[in-house]
Amino acid sequence: MILTPEVLAILIINTTLAFFAFIAFILSVKIYLNWDLESSSTLQYKLEKQSYLTATIIKYIFIVKVPLFLFFIFTLDKISNILIGAMCGAGVVDATEYGTYLFVLKIINLYIFAYWLALNSEDIKHENQPYTKQKFGMFIIFFLFFMVEVILEGVMFSAIDVKEMVDCCGTIYSTSSSTYIADILKLSPYIIVGIFYTNFLLIILFYFLKRKYIFSFLNLIFIITSLISLIAFFGTYIYQLPTHHCPFCFLQKDYDYVGYIIYIFLFVGTFFGMITGFVETSLEELKKRYNISLVFNTFYVLLVTSYVVVFFIKNGVWL
Amino acid sequence: MIELKDINKIYEINKNHKVEALKKVNLTIKEGELIVLKGASGSGKSTILSLIAGLSKPTSGEVIVDSKQISKLLDNFSSVYRRDNIGFIFQKYNLIPTLSVKENIALPLVPLNPTTKELEQKLDKVMDMFHILHKKDMIVKNLSGGEQQRVAIARSYVNNPKIIIADEPTANLDKKLSLKFIEILKELKSLGKTIIVATHDPLFYGLEFVDREIEVHNGSLVL
Repeated sequence: MILTPEVLAILIINTTLAFFAFIAFILSVKIYLNWDLESSSTLQYKLEKQSYLTATIIKYIFIVKVPLFLFFIFTLDKISNILIGAMCGAGVVDATEYGTYLFVLKIINLYIFAYWLALNSEDIKHENQPYTKQKFGMFIIFFLFFMVEVILEGVMFSAIDVKEMVDCCGTIYSTSSSTYIADILKLSPYIIVGIFYTNFLLIILFYFLKRKYIFSFLNLIFIITSLISLIAFFGTYIYQLPTHHCPFCFLQKDYDYVGYIIYIFLFVGTFFGMITGFVETSLEELKKRYNISLVFNTFYVLLVTSYVVVFFIKNGVWL
Repeated sequence: MIELKDINKIYEINKNHKVEALKKVNLTIKEGELIVLKGASGSGKSTILSLIAGLSKPTSGEVIVDSKQISKLLDNFSSVYRRDNIGFIFQKYNLIPTLSVKENIALPLVPLNPTTKELEQKLDKVMDMFHILHKKDMIVKNLSGGEQQRVAIARSYVNNPKIIIADEPTANLDKKLSLKFIEILKELKSLGKTIIVATHDPLFYGLEFVDREIEVHNGSLVL
């Protein structure tokens, strides 16, 4: 078990959030089962008040979860100093069999909480609150995801053995390892980068064509193509090392914490892109989502591309 | 038209202490009517007013204004409803003491974002109507009770609401000023406003221009 002050802080905050999420869950079940906006009964008026309370709880959980996720990454990096063999957060994630699942689940949960908030914001814009039942029904499922995350987090930190040697990112993200990542790294960078830029150009195209479902789908794919190309190609230019593919090291001070900016651009851009097709809204709001998505995705593309261009200008060769 | 259907309102002070403010209240108020709700303190008059104004929600029942069920509105829609339809005159005026007469009256117009010219025109018209124009730049805390009352009336009227609600409007006024207020009410009624006054001031009883006097007793209407 590893119990640094940072880990302790994460566990305490997450337990507190889980407590409030549980209250929101109980109320969500009650609202989902009994909601009838046409009714003027005492129960319905009570539910209307409780729906406001529940939405507020969920909103604050999300507000805490976003910086907590960044703090989680920071903590992984920090405790990598304690683990033998680990050079960055990647070693900590790989130290137990739960790490990768937890990491992926954390990202998924951030997206679904943000999606819930987008749905909620749309719901309260209408007098007839068309999504109330749907949003609380969804939260019942999201709560389970969140609880799995909290439990998995506790399990992961308790399963870390500080005396046991772990792999460093150089081993985990290498072509010689026997993982899916190794298979991806073996692909030609032309194919990876080609798919990435094609994906981005299609996003631009469908931004102008305003086909929201396709735009939404392309953004979903863009997360995957971006992460793959970041690990397989762009990362090597950030590190200026052809063999270094770690998606964690650039979160460190040595790289001016640029990883945080990269991921924020990517996650905000793709999130707003995806909800164009998932949450019905007014034309004005839809336009806003298109714009935010394109701006952040473009910033992401420009930022990662700039490392390649600057490297070439400085050195006259590609990696 | 305002309709209150089977309204119950219970205030939960704590788990063991509940106050039943309104019991199965049914009331219909036609457009342009002037209604006086009379009754002792704590009888439920102010609760009826706050329900019509969308300031609170019933425990059960429906409040319908112009076919819209306002008791079901979310807070953001309630605010818009109040802004567009309601002028509220409070017992203690509820003015902002450090602002001038003009600034206090302008407050309900702020969310509408009028141009300076529009704003000035509206304010001058209303201040003139309620005989407060000559004091327009004075800080309201320096005004007399009667003048503050007129500022409060002007503020309730400035967004040209359909419904004007007054809660114990003469509680802090002497007889002379109270009679002046009654004159203003008469004038507002002649402009077609629906007016609901909650009061236990006997000056309001038996006035010829009042359409109905309704007694509220222990949370019920005495018809």
